[in-house]
Amino acid sequence: MPSDPRYLPVVRGAICALSATMGWDESDCRAITLALDEALANIIRHAYHNRADGVIEVECRETADGLEVTMLDKGEAADGTRICARAIACDQPGGLGTHIIRDVMDTVSYQATPAGNRFVATKRLRKAT
Amino acid sequence: MKISIRDAGETKIVEIEGDVDLGTSPDLRRTLFDSLLHAPRLALNLAAIRYIDSSGIATLIEVLKDSQRRNKQFVLFGLSPAVRQVFHLTHVISIFQVFQTEEEALGSA
Repeated sequence: MPSDPRYLPVVRGAICALSATMGWDESDCRAITLALDEALANIIRHAYHNRADGVIEVECRETADGLEVTMLDKGEAADGTRICARAIACDQPGGLGTHIIRDVMDTVSYQATPAGNRFVATKRLRKAT
Repeated sequence: MKISIRDAGETKIVEIEGDVDLGTSPDLRRTLFDSLLHAPRLALNLAAIRYIDSSGIATLIEVLKDSQRRNKQFVLFGLSPAVRQVFHLTHVISIFQVFQTEEEALGSA
């Protein structure tokens, strides 16, 4: 997708539909969609500095135990020391998105690679027994 | 996202419809800050919001803090389960005055 916020609803729609198809309930689908939307918004704001002409590659893959989402961008690399650096549950408006991502997803990683910045998040699907 | 504003006594009621995200939250921010200048009390109806992200929540926190600096009141009402879930995920629900209905929000002055 282009690094343009106008396309965020399109990706949200796809992720929500995918999560529902894979078996998550409505509440989990909303949370997963929010978390991945926050990751995209962070790339637009911090990697591309709100430039709309960048590209974000989004890959959603069904794994043996759930969902794995990879996002690749060619913007500025994230500063690892600032990710989740702020305290949650206070009245400061910034930095909420990364907390949502870590709260909702089971694993989250950020990596600068020769191909660009790589964000990978996974969520396990706990099947009813 | 659609925004409409109406007056109810000394309260300005702002109603939002649609999605509040990185692309639309600047419009909401401008509207809320401007409305706060023109009334002692601002009530935001969130009932018709389909989606809100952390940039929307951050906007509401900014408006709340501005209202406190100006000795004005900023309240929320009509939170759907989807919107309430985002407030809980961001752990900020407790800093806002939240009401179920417009009548309750207007009666809280």
